[in-house]
Amino acid sequence: MIRPAPAAKFRPGDAVRVLTTEKEGHVRTPAYVKGKRGEISHVLGTFPDPESLAYGGNGLPEKVLYRVVFRQADLWESYEGSTADALYVDVYEHWLEPAGEEG
Amino acid sequence: MSGNGHDGHPHEELRHESSPWAARIRAVEELLVEKGVFTHEEVRAQIEHTEARTHENGARLVARAWVDPEFKNLLLSDTKAACSELGIDASGPVELAVVENTERVHNLIVCTLCSCYPRPILGRPPDWYKSFAYRSRAVREPRAVMREFGLELPEGVEVVVHDSTADLRYMVLPARPPGAEGMSEEELAALVTRDSLIGVAIPREPARTQ
Amino acid sequence: MSGGVHDMGGRREEFGPVDRTEHEVQDWERLADAVNYVLNAKGHKTTDEMRRAIEGLEGYREMGYYERWAAAAELLAVEKGLLTQREIDERAAALEKRWAGE
Repeated sequence: MIRPAPAAKFRPGDAVRVLTTEKEGHVRTPAYVKGKRGEISHVLGTFPDPESLAYGGNGLPEKVLYRVVFRQADLWESYEGSTADALYVDVYEHWLEPAGEEG
Repeated sequence: MSGNGHDGHPHEELRHESSPWAARIRAVEELLVEKGVFTHEEVRAQIEHTEARTHENGARLVARAWVDPEFKNLLLSDTKAACSELGIDASGPVELAVVENTERVHNLIVCTLCSCYPRPILGRPPDWYKSFAYRSRAVREPRAVMREFGLELPEGVEVVVHDSTADLRYMVLPARPPGAEGMSEEELAALVTRDSLIGVAIPREPARTQ
Repeated sequence: MSGGVHDMGGRREEFGPVDRTEHEVQDWERLADAVNYVLNAKGHKTTDEMRRAIEGLEGYREMGYYERWAAAAELLAVEKGLLTQREIDERAAALEKRWAGE
């Protein structure tokens, strides 16, 4: 953890899914992980909300940021490489929901 | 210090520049100075600050981590603290993180949304890092991209891509090359290329003779 | 899967091999870089505002990297009320004229 996040909703190992929300304007969630299932790798801390900062806002309330790990094979069709290959993306909490059981 | 294009300008002449944005950004800078928003000196100091930071900072961090396991732990767990231990200025709002290559894992860094890059320890990003080709393909086909850079990894090595989308900037801690036993920290740092700190390459191997 | 023009991840069909040629950073590019950093450091704008401004540029795909930075600095300077578009246009025209005339 880089900064404190006492109110973090998820913990390392939790299965999560990235929301598919089509939000207009500036967001830091890349489209290619939307709707994809991953796992919380690290709780990175609480940071000002970029979606507020981008429009001159004060970034409050701050958002918990997580490092989320995805299996490359879950992200792309016909991915070339090992099934162990992985991709990490830093995602803010309000873009994540619990994913429940695999499948 | 009026905006006459002379006193205190970081660079005097831009007439050879072809982009129409050369004049526009100069106009913005001059006007902001005239309005007292900032001074030419502050802009010049910022340019010098940027020029002074290169991947040599990252190479020093790596070389120390190769010879000092405790420092390596610090580099991986608290990168800014590791920087200050070597006198590298990593203050500022951006957080830094370092990910370790091992025999089994190879890391690659990209920013698909813009050009996030750990400037305090790597300097200005290379053009290719900011290119649409790298940004689009590094997450989709990292092995193919690395092959273009001349790096072919065995199937058994797990490729891990980090898309630095938010508040952290990532650097790779490459594995120490074979044959580097007994080298000084300075000699080790010279093996650490910029590209090996991004993950599209591995460090140089020490020369066999000499 | 969609996303803005800047949201590049996975769009490999649109781009070929990575061009590894480095161009020499030009003076105006250093300036565009520094102006943005100093404006941030002084609290006049944030990195996220700059990203938002860049993502909204009509010519995103056609512009050079630091052209996008220069355009974002200009847009935000106007948006924040630090400068007017007119004074920037006039000064830029005057500079062009001076550089061309020498």
